[in-house]
Amino acid sequence: MSLLILLGAPLGAAGLLALVRGAPARAAHLTVTAITAAAAGAVALRVIQAGSVTALGGLLRADGLSAWMIVLIALVSGLAASEPPPSVRAVPARRFYPLFHLFVFTMLLAVGTDDVGLMWVAVEGTTLASVFLVNLERSRASLEAAYKYLLICSVGVAIAFIGTVLVYFADIHQLGDEAHALRWTTLVRLAPGLPARVVELGFVFLLVGYGTKAGLAPMHTWLPDAHSEAPAPVSALMSGVLLSVGVYALLRFKTVVDQAAGPEFTQRLLLALGLLSIAIAAAFLWASTNYKRMLAYSSIEHIGVVCLGLGFGGLVGIGGALLHVANHALAKSVLFLLSGRIRAAYGSADIAGVTGLLGAMPVTGGLFLLAMLALMGLPPFGLFVSEVLIFSAGFQSGHWAIAAASLLLLVGAFAGLLRSAHRMLYGAAAPTVVDVPGLRSAVPAGVALLLLTLTGIAWPPGLAAALDHIARLLGP
Amino acid sequence: MTTATNFLAFLGLVSTLLIVWRQSWPGRRQLFVVQSLLLAALAATMAVYANRHELLLVAAVVVLLKAVLIPRILGRLAAGMPARPVTPGRSAGMSLLVAGGLIVAAYVIMLPVTAVSELPTEGGIPLAFAMVLIGLFVTVTGRDALGHVLGFLMFENGIFALALLATYGLPGLVEAGVFLDVLVIVLLMEGFVLQIRREHDSIAVDRLRELRG
Repeated sequence: MSLLILLGAPLGAAGLLALVRGAPARAAHLTVTAITAAAAGAVALRVIQAGSVTALGGLLRADGLSAWMIVLIALVSGLAASEPPPSVRAVPARRFYPLFHLFVFTMLLAVGTDDVGLMWVAVEGTTLASVFLVNLERSRASLEAAYKYLLICSVGVAIAFIGTVLVYFADIHQLGDEAHALRWTTLVRLAPGLPARVVELGFVFLLVGYGTKAGLAPMHTWLPDAHSEAPAPVSALMSGVLLSVGVYALLRFKTVVDQAAGPEFTQRLLLALGLLSIAIAAAFLWASTNYKRMLAYSSIEHIGVVCLGLGFGGLVGIGGALLHVANHALAKSVLFLLSGRIRAAYGSADIAGVTGLLGAMPVTGGLFLLAMLALMGLPPFGLFVSEVLIFSAGFQSGHWAIAAASLLLLVGAFAGLLRSAHRMLYGAAAPTVVDVPGLRSAVPAGVALLLLTLTGIAWPPGLAAALDHIARLLGP
Repeated sequence: MTTATNFLAFLGLVSTLLIVWRQSWPGRRQLFVVQSLLLAALAATMAVYANRHELLLVAAVVVLLKAVLIPRILGRLAAGMPARPVTPGRSAGMSLLVAGGLIVAAYVIMLPVTAVSELPTEGGIPLAFAMVLIGLFVTVTGRDALGHVLGFLMFENGIFALALLATYGLPGLVEAGVFLDVLVIVLLMEGFVLQIRREHDSIAVDRLRELRG
């Protein structure tokens, strides 16, 4: 039931909000976001009690991993909804609200279904729902970003479809026809008997396909454009959780492939792409001139770190990767939301166009500084802990060279981020720049930073057990 | 059945190669219609021989969607455009040579699949995968938005053929999602092409050069 409300609320809202305008639309927008968040909480509670929740005859199913993602999506969409909608060039909000909820719905469906075919449809749906949002400004730059996004991600996700077809082929080859052959639960049950070569080939396609969606190098080329051109709340959703939905899809198949062909194959591929992503992101972070693009490249870096965690494997590596997904979602969505305010105040997205942020906008600037420190992986914030977990898994599993090389690259990325942040935060600002009035606007970001501190220094009871449970679900 | 499906898959690949070879846009569009009809025939053949009657419905949707609706949208997109690309194309010979290489690659890549398969349709699987690769090649090398759309559609047709031959079609829900997906992508592309044309007076994508670094 809670699962049906979780998916029904944003889907219904997408239809409803197309009809409503003005202040009622804003109120309905916030109400639906709250309902979605409450339903997400309910699903998570049920999963903690019973292990999994199903609906519609098992078509919808949430286990520990799904619940983890559902809670993250609800959290980040709550953060994104707390920010007033973009008002550039009198963009009609009646287009923004319905697409926002449709976008949230597709992400929730992708992580809330047991059918990997439906998951594919939902992941493709995330592109289609968000592409208009990227082009909301209808400027030349946003047009180009949206076009690239649609083309590259459609082709990418279609490649993932080939992988899905191959896994399905292996599956019905093994089992003959069955109604639920594309269910993940069926796949995992049959996995040990699937023909290893076919499943491995399928995983290569899935990695390229869903890796495109996750922003893994070298399929990342759409990402900096789309994430920097989208309005701030949409960037927050895209960077914060959409990338992780791509990783989620990979994880589901990784579990199947690992049981059919042994874990070395997927681990090697994930390590290679993870390391490449970190290297490319670090290089671009040194040369970034636009702060939204800088944040986008940092997302590529962090998705790379997540892949390293999955590649190192073991309970610590996978648990660390899951925790890193959550930490990154919180830190990055806060930064994108703040960057929207900064851009509105300074009228520029260039790093060179922003100086004296701390002086001119003390609240926004202060939060920006804290969130940047969190993003760089400094204690007391959670990203420090999850990175330590991931790299200790790397050294433990004997991947010395990869762990050491990526740590060096991370230091480079750190320095690049620090340099840019320093330029923006200090100096003198034009007197026309004023902060968003009132402290209320600082509450959502403050809450997110508080959560990040919790995952950094004081794990809430049950977090360790939850991570352990999910990692066991995925590991052989 | 094997003869029929192999022959239809072979014809599908030939139509793909012809699209690569043709330079004029209306010609390519017509060849795409032919290719889609061949795929519908493939689905219908398998429906009859393998007793999969739901594939008849799939064939009907393919005809409606890919042989009528989408070509009409493509025609609307190209309205007022010169029939041939303004800049002289790279020689078709070179592209065909690459396509030939991709066919060989398709056979090699699909080896693990054909090795375990006992399906009567397995002979067509590498041919369908060659269509996928060539479609991808056309998409990547497309110099204007029309080329991208057409390449993507060829690519998608190839995947459809592959799914059909390897698994006799996916479950209905997924199949429906895929069709809807293709239609929405083409409609979105149309919106973009119109906007690009308004902004840039051209649909050559090398004009899209705003975002760097």
